[in-house]
Amino acid sequence: MIKLVNVSKSYLKGVNILQAINLYIEAGEFVSLVGQSGSGKTSLVKILIGEEKINDGRVIIGDWDITKISRREVPYLRRQIGVIFQDFKLLPQKTLWENVAFALEVCGQPQVKINKIVSSVMRLVGLEDKKDRYPHEVSGGEQQRTAIARSLVHQPKILLADEPTGNLDSINANEIIDLLIRINKFGTTVILVTHNREIVNQLKKRVIAIEKGKVVSDQEKGKYLL
Amino acid sequence: MFLSLLRIIKFSLQDISRNIWLTIATVTILVLALLSVNTLLTVEVLSRHAIEAVKEKVDISLYLKADASEEQITSLKTQITQMTKAKKVMYTSKADALRYFREKNKDKPEVLTALRELGRNPLSPSLIIVPNNVDEAPQLINEIKQIDSDIIESRDFADNTMILEKINDITKKISEVGLFIIFIFLFTSMLVAYNSIKVAIYTHRREIEIMRLVGASNKFIYLPFVLSAIIYAFLSVVLIVLLFYPFLGLLQPYLEVFFMDYNINIIDYFVNNFWIIFGLQFLAVSAIGVLSSWLAIRRYAKV
Repeated sequence: MIKLVNVSKSYLKGVNILQAINLYIEAGEFVSLVGQSGSGKTSLVKILIGEEKINDGRVIIGDWDITKISRREVPYLRRQIGVIFQDFKLLPQKTLWENVAFALEVCGQPQVKINKIVSSVMRLVGLEDKKDRYPHEVSGGEQQRTAIARSLVHQPKILLADEPTGNLDSINANEIIDLLIRINKFGTTVILVTHNREIVNQLKKRVIAIEKGKVVSDQEKGKYLL
Repeated sequence: MFLSLLRIIKFSLQDISRNIWLTIATVTILVLALLSVNTLLTVEVLSRHAIEAVKEKVDISLYLKADASEEQITSLKTQITQMTKAKKVMYTSKADALRYFREKNKDKPEVLTALRELGRNPLSPSLIIVPNNVDEAPQLINEIKQIDSDIIESRDFADNTMILEKINDITKKISEVGLFIIFIFLFTSMLVAYNSIKVAIYTHRREIEIMRLVGASNKFIYLPFVLSAIIYAFLSVVLIVLLFYPFLGLLQPYLEVFFMDYNINIIDYFVNNFWIIFGLQFLAVSAIGVLSSWLAIRRYAKV
């Protein structure tokens, strides 16, 4: 469950990025967050992963109020929320396997457990045969699947996908969306941040539209209306 | 804890080996910085030895009357030896003085001919007094002036005092200038080391961002870079040792010719002080590395 109560965010005095946002997302929902560039979508993602602090309101994830989360607590929040980005954000000097394993290694998980989890998520995203390749040796779609595998290693309750198909062709983009739908079916809340009209319309899931930092529409089984 | 430590070491070694050109560039810059420090240290050691050698050569000659008896001379020598500011007192007889004079002027036949034509030994016996410390020489001269002895022929040390003052003045200035240059060199080298490690981390800023993203704790972000900085320091000190000793080996024969009679061995100095010189350099570069890593990572990771 994600709950935003009157959330406002501004970087400069008088320039509001988000204005009094009220949102409630149930556990296990698949939500598309749409809006044009600069509408405040990415700021919302940054707030949800503890990268940005809000000026007003409250942000609650599950039973954790992260409104005033400390720097020390941020790593623990990140282990509970999977995030993927348009530019994949893989470590270029590590193989696909090492990139996925890294997220567990830095949490002090034992090697046996790491091998088991990484094998299983690599299988889920269909990359077990390319695990020893470096990011630059595989396609964009495969890099994004690696990023998804990495985001799943902690079995997060929430997966935030910030423009995950932005750098991909339509075939790879559809594969990534299919993968997100499969992950959602396992019970993970998926928040898809995008401005890809076609994808949103195909999904027929809840659509929240943001414009100039405000929620302008929130529809069950909605369409991209902006 | 042990597992975390092993992983931090693994990440650090992976980072060094997989970014080998960055490692080579960083270590090369550190080696160059250390090379300038060690070159300066060599110059400093040589100038210190040269100053000491010059100071060693400072002595006060007390000329005695030609008819002074051995007994009187021995008594005077004992009296001066007992002075706290005198390191040693050497007696040069008339015959010895003549021998030294001939030896010194062996290439000047006109001087030796003049001496032969004189038909007698015109030189006086003397006591050569070496001060404990060249700085105290003027006080020693004052004490010698106050000795009540009939056998002393000349008590005029005006020239000696002036020369001693000049030597003291020059050595003091050399020390001051040396210290200033050392400070500038050290400061520059530290700045170079600091910046090279900062640049190395700057190239990793995207990785640091990703580490944060996947929930890496601060120690997992910070410590591999700190360890890498310590490994850079170790590699650069090992390389400077491997480079600098052959250089000293090439330098030594020239020093032996230049500082003839002074027994200066720069290799011995670096061998005898190996752990202090290179241990301190390792600690200093490591400390700079840790500091620059910490500041750079704080900036890019907001640790």
